[in-house]
This record gives sequence, structure tokens and C-alpha cells, in this order.
Amino acid sequence: MATEPGVSLTAAAEPASLDRVHALLETVWAAHEDVGPADRMSFAIAVTEIAGNIVAHSGSGRPLVFSLHVDVEPEELRAEFEDPGGRVDVDLSAVRMPDDLAESGRGLALALGCVDRLEYRREGETNHWRMVRRRADA
Amino acid sequence: MIDLDLDMDAGAAVIRLRGRLTMVNAAALRSAVTDALAAGRTRIVVDLSDCEFMDSSGLGAVIGGLKTARQAGGDLRIASLSPQVSTVLQLTNLDRVLRPYDTVAGALGGN
Repeated sequence: MATEPGVSLTAAAEPASLDRVHALLETVWAAHEDVGPADRMSFAIAVTEIAGNIVAHSGSGRPLVFSLHVDVEPEELRAEFEDPGGRVDVDLSAVRMPDDLAESGRGLALALGCVDRLEYRREGETNHWRMVRRRADA
Repeated sequence: MIDLDLDMDAGAAVIRLRGRLTMVNAAALRSAVTDALAAGRTRIVVDLSDCEFMDSSGLGAVIGGLKTARQAGGDLRIASLSPQVSTVLQLTNLDRVLRPYDTVAGALGGN
């Protein structure tokens, strides 16, 4: 099924790496001008939120490195994150938006609203986040 | 990556963001709101015309600014949203709390 090797990034789990995630997506879009603006926007929101979640929570204060791999397929966009941080205690089926005036806690709900599939799994000592957006332009 | 300008006139402050508002720089927005309030400007407008991207951390900073401004007896309004910021606001149901204004002038003058 895969038609492209995709694009990857390895970065320190720190806020500044979000800029590198955005730069990676710009590289992806430059190579795939056929991906429409709505798909780009929604996918970028979801990818940024998961990257932000890893930066904020996975390290628990200790430095670690995460990887991101993005694939563009004719009918879908896929992103996969891996990090060696602590297990993430999350039930994605129970994620809801917090109260209106909450200042945090919206990231996963926002990501879920932007992709068709968002999965988290723990394998050994590694966290895996995988998201898929079916292309509206396909 | 973001630039932030804080312009204050007699009664209001306009905070103009350029670039992406994410966890990288959400604290800068919070500081600008604090600075405006400390200078006695309780009417604050965040000009988003050049803010190309906002994540949940950036949105949290905007909500934090709204709460701080309200606690000081003022208000914080957002103006000139890009499609991405509008989408984030709608997906989080916050367009009811932070009503977007089309222009900075409208946000400064609106009720």
C-alpha cells in the first residue's frame, strides 16, 4: 500500500522541537502539493497536539528524544510518534473537552477532532502514538 | 516561533502576534497580558491577523488572559482570526466564550 517512504524526524522532547515538527510538515506539503488546505490544517493540529503532549508529559522532567514519521498516501495522511518516556495513562474513548475556562487539557480532544483515527499503545518501554486522517481531497 | 508587539493607548492594549502561538511561546502572551493590566489597560485585544497557527497551549494562554483581564474588571477580545485559529476555536467550543471580532477596530469598539 505504501507508495512513499515518508519523512521522519528525531528531536528532543522540549517545546522548541514543535518548530521542527512544523518544519517537517512544511517539507511534507512541499513534496505533496496535492494535499488540500483543510487536510493540511487538521492534520497539523493533530500532529502538533500529540507532539505537545509528548513534550509536556512523557519525560516527567528528564530529557528524552522522540521520533515522528509522516506518510502521505493517496487516500490518507498518517503520523506515528515514538518515545521512550513513561507510560501514558489515557483512555482516548473517554477524552472530553474540559470546562470553558480551563487553561489546559484540550490537546487530546482537539487531536481527536482532527483525525479519523488516533491510537496510543505501549510496547515494552516505548510509547507509540499513531494517527490517520482520511483525505477529504482524495 | 512568534513575534509579539504590545501597543497601548489611553484605554486599551493591542497585542499583535505574528507566527505560531504554541507551547513554545504561550508564556510570552501571558506576560504581555500581565504587562498590559499592570499598566492599567484592562481592555485587551489580541490581534491574530498574522498568527498562522495556534495549538491548545496557545489557546490556554488566551483563556488565561481572558480570566486575568476579567478579574481586573476588564475584558480580552480576539480579532482577525486565520482559518486555522477559527477551526481550533470551533473544535474546542470556545467560540461561545471568546467571540471572534473581524477587525481590531471592531474589537476595540464593540460591546
